[in-house]
Amino acid sequence: MEEISVREARREDVEEAANLVVRMKRLNNEFDPLFTVVDDAPARARSYLSTSLESKSSLVLVAVKGKSVVGVLRAEVRERTFYKPTIGGNITDFYILPEHRRKALGNTMLERASKTLRKLGAQVVTAEFPARNEIAVKFYSKRRFRALTNIYAESTE
Amino acid sequence: MPRAKAGEEASRKAVRYSAFYGGKVATMPKVPIRSLDDFSIWYTPGVAAVSKLIQRGVELSFEYTNRWNSIAIITDGSRVLGLGKIGPEAALPVMEGKSLIYKYLGGVDAYPLPIRVTDVEKFVDTVSSLEPALGGINLEDIESPKCFEILERLRGRMTIPVWHDDQQGTAGVILAAIYNSLELTERKIGETRITFLGSGAANIAAVRLLGEAGADPKKMIVVDSKGILHPGREDMDQLLLRNRWKYEVALETNGGRVTGGLEEALNGADVLVAAAAPGPRVVKKREIAGMAKRAIVFLLANPVPEMWPSEAIAAGAEIVATGRSDFPNQVNNSILFPGIFRGALDVRARTITDGMVIAAAREIARFAKDKGLSPRRIIPTMLDWEVYPRVAATVGVKAQEEGEARKRASKEELGRHAREIIGRSRKMHRVLVEKRIIPPPPPR
Repeated sequence: MEEISVREARREDVEEAANLVVRMKRLNNEFDPLFTVVDDAPARARSYLSTSLESKSSLVLVAVKGKSVVGVLRAEVRERTFYKPTIGGNITDFYILPEHRRKALGNTMLERASKTLRKLGAQVVTAEFPARNEIAVKFYSKRRFRALTNIYAESTE
Repeated sequence: MPRAKAGEEASRKAVRYSAFYGGKVATMPKVPIRSLDDFSIWYTPGVAAVSKLIQRGVELSFEYTNRWNSIAIITDGSRVLGLGKIGPEAALPVMEGKSLIYKYLGGVDAYPLPIRVTDVEKFVDTVSSLEPALGGINLEDIESPKCFEILERLRGRMTIPVWHDDQQGTAGVILAAIYNSLELTERKIGETRITFLGSGAANIAAVRLLGEAGADPKKMIVVDSKGILHPGREDMDQLLLRNRWKYEVALETNGGRVTGGLEEALNGADVLVAAAAPGPRVVKKREIAGMAKRAIVFLLANPVPEMWPSEAIAAGAEIVATGRSDFPNQVNNSILFPGIFRGALDVRARTITDGMVIAAAREIARFAKDKGLSPRRIIPTMLDWEVYPRVAATVGVKAQEEGEARKRASKEELGRHAREIIGRSRKMHRVLVEKRIIPPPPPR
């Protein structure tokens, strides 16, 4: 069985990692119509990840099996203007292909992300995902994360 | 008579006779009523003493009432036969038919009980509240994937067997037919490549049951309306949230990561189990032609199989089964469920496990083998009534082995008891017909 390794993403990973980001956005759509994915999501995802790779305040990790990207995690360091600790690392995107779930890969990627975010100055790690994503709630709760902010939405259309 | 004409004739008769008889089943006293005085025994005041006894030990309800032999056939009418979501009232004739088969072939008192509840939570609450009156539950004709969740939750909550015939029953009969087909074509289950067409309740349950019975999930492929199921499919996350049972099947099957459609899935396959959509052109001859030599083909859609059996044979299939009684090899739940519940009730089982279903499937296969196997006879028919006590005894023994029985009895005792009770049921019916208490059907 080929080993899966976790490392920081490179430019050549962008195409495949972007596919996973789009899959994740489509999964979000299952939780709320306000997460309806735009038609050009693949192109946007590629640009989003490319920009992140160049940014010093962003982190993109990939899980790689052979030559295939099977997981992606994107996070960014944010200033917390009014609160202590003043710098946080926020996981914005985190997706693993179904076949590679339940093998502690999520844990490995999360630990690696936390470690790297700490190096980038983050004193707290947060993660954002749709409120109704119970799977994510379970994943983070199990790892001692707790709910911090609620975002409520009302469509104005 | 041509098949289409025979079908129309049966439909006409069904409507006329149902009106004439006012339905198909009724309750009937089973104790003597010698005079009005007997009512003081069977009802008040005498009955109060029985109630007091049961109040002190509720398990006694199995001894002092008909609970030991009673089940309910429960549906929400959301997926009835090939008719779809027709509602609970329209589902009632079907549940009555099932009740009739339960009584006639299994000696089981099965109450048809369609309910007007669609919400899963309420459905589970409603059904589980019926437990005090029943020895078992038969869930029927509930849409997928709701049926999976309902079954799972009720099994976790109730201390009597909960059975979903469209899942466990169909899967069990498929397994029985596969056992004998493999024997005839000299195959081993663990090495057999099986393709499933359709991913509804029956096939999802069959994948699981066959895996439990020794088939290799990696050698199974499931094809649905979007093509071959595999973990890389774009809709996997949707499945995770909407149908986690199918999601699990996608993860566990198709070790070769085959993609494409039915043709690719059947390329070199040993067995096709089609439980998809009424045919006859759902499966094509060239797709069957691509299967391995001595191919086994089950075409289970009703009323019209996914392709005509003659075409499957012309394309190279050696064994063909359908869901219909007018073709050889009818793979139909009715060969299994009366015996399964007879056995479960007779040992007062808490549940019906996969092990019990596999044991029942083996017994059905053995029965057919005892009578002589051939490509046109891989499974007993409903006329082989001796199969039901045999299945019942096997299931009762397995329940004891698995620690799910509240009562103990030997296989011989269970077989004898089942034969008696089923025999009595058939005899009662025969007498009622002979004495014209059940009148003959109306003339044209």
